[in-house]
Amino acid sequence: MKMLTDGVPDHGAGPTANRSGDFRIEPPYSWRGLLVVLMVLLVLCVTGARVEVDRLAMLTGEAFAVALGLRDSSQVSRGAVKVVQELFPPQISERREVARIENFNRSDLPWFSHIETLRETEQHLNPRTLAMEKSTISREFLVEPLGYLRHVTLKMIETLEIALWGTLLAVALSLPLAYCSARNYSPHRAVYLVARCLVSFCRAIPELVSALFLVVLYGFGPMAGIAALGLHAAGFLGKFYGEDIENADGGPQEALRAIGAGKLKVLCFGVLPQVFPQYIAYTFYVLDRNVRMATVIGLVGAGGIGQELKGRYDMYNYAHVATILLAIFITVFLLDQIAARMRSRFL
Amino acid sequence: MSRDARSMVRFDNIEKRFGENRVLNRISLDIPRGQFCVILGPSGAGKSTLLRMVNGLVTPTTGSVYIEGWRVERDNLKHIRTGIGMIHQHFNLVQRASVATNVLAGALPRVALWRALLMWFPVPYRRKACQLARAVGLNAAQLSRRVSALSGGQQQRVGIARAFMLDPSVILADEPVASLDPKISRDILGLLRDESRRRAATVLCTLHQIDLAREFADRIVAVRGGEIVFDGEPKAFDDAALRSIYGQSELLAAAPSGIAEPGPSQVAEVLI
Repeated sequence: MKMLTDGVPDHGAGPTANRSGDFRIEPPYSWRGLLVVLMVLLVLCVTGARVEVDRLAMLTGEAFAVALGLRDSSQVSRGAVKVVQELFPPQISERREVARIENFNRSDLPWFSHIETLRETEQHLNPRTLAMEKSTISREFLVEPLGYLRHVTLKMIETLEIALWGTLLAVALSLPLAYCSARNYSPHRAVYLVARCLVSFCRAIPELVSALFLVVLYGFGPMAGIAALGLHAAGFLGKFYGEDIENADGGPQEALRAIGAGKLKVLCFGVLPQVFPQYIAYTFYVLDRNVRMATVIGLVGAGGIGQELKGRYDMYNYAHVATILLAIFITVFLLDQIAARMRSRFL
Repeated sequence: MSRDARSMVRFDNIEKRFGENRVLNRISLDIPRGQFCVILGPSGAGKSTLLRMVNGLVTPTTGSVYIEGWRVERDNLKHIRTGIGMIHQHFNLVQRASVATNVLAGALPRVALWRALLMWFPVPYRRKACQLARAVGLNAAQLSRRVSALSGGQQQRVGIARAFMLDPSVILADEPVASLDPKISRDILGLLRDESRRRAATVLCTLHQIDLAREFADRIVAVRGGEIVFDGEPKAFDDAALRSIYGQSELLAAAPSGIAEPGPSQVAEVLI
């Protein structure tokens, strides 16, 4: 044993007396670590059974089996086929009966549109003779080949506008919040506590929930959406802006305090240049998130593409829903690309 | 108020305790206008604490500090600080900001808040920043460069330019060359001495390098264990004084073996 410890490094984790005295490198795995892993596994098993993770895995497995031709049908694959059949093809054109369009001006049609005339024979009861009669009526339709796409695009632009203004509102609200919730700059302990509470409160309420209430306050439309996005993101930005102020290097701040500069000046010259790149990154993240959230909060009537989505879904117009979902996907994808480029340029 | 009309900074019976730990013990010191006074001592001797009392970054437990006869108090701190420039060991510049912004920041207390927030400094201050940048040996191209792109010595030049922005009557230099090499340390201290002489500013400079203190100081105040153990001209600062700062036993422990009684120059090398 002595020879061994002298000659080669001792790999054993046991309490071998080593010659280096107090110096010791802990082995990477220990009994306590193993015990923790076992406990975590146990907890996962219990909760997994409660939320039916096992069935989720089974049903998905069956669906894959169907896709590979190993089975004839399964619940999930039947549902998937039905959804796809309903969704495709996505709605591009728009077709409206002329008689139902208000102030229709025949000499000034929208771009790329034409009028279709349908002749239909209708049977109806003649009240005098009480006999069924056939008559031919003609109905006119205004057909816009790209009409619905145009409508979705306009709604998408509105969504982006909501996201942009929500972000601006968030930045404007979070700057004073960050100042008050940074422990080393807050004017007073009470102000600090109130600011912290506000920040947590804003962050705790998801946009979708606050939009529900803000729609009651501001009515249906983009206003409620902007307010909902702004409030939630203000909580997020307030927290992160504030923590960055707290963690900024104290040296430059002390140097400016030492010559008698006031708090705001120290913040502007001693802290802001240090935290600026992070601030830009947070703000871009919030803008990115707001675009995604702006598509969703329309579901409760807060404007944008979500409102359109909800309406079409409730009317079983799944082809229209497909167009909207595609539009959302393309927008988020493009935004990701733009954000990545902006980030690499600015930071 | 002041006993001597020429007195610029006066420490009156200063004591400072952090909890049980007494850092400074009954220190009284009078620094006349225009003097380059080096406070010399080993790390932990309390020299930084003493220096930081002048602009109120540290408040004495008992005793007071007077600037031109005015007592440094919480109420007049902001006014007093405007007249005191400070140079720091770790430069304390904003690394990401440009050299120009860092130098201009030295004028912040005198600039209106709205101008400061817009980073729009009045023309006289911008002109002054340019003059100072030239005076401390920076070149024009460096003005718009980020501080992080400069070397340590050049960064301290920026720090000196910032300290002189408001024509302070007192300059506090807290170990200004501790993180620089000996050659650059000499350049920086020479610059500090020349600039402060030209502007008739009083300098309080803490150092731990004995040779630099001897070379640049008008007066050396040596501190050990919170007390003044030497106060006089550099040429009066002899081996006995040296021993009183660092202690015989510490000297011998620090010296290479074989040198029983090191001469002053060797001691200086060992201690740097």
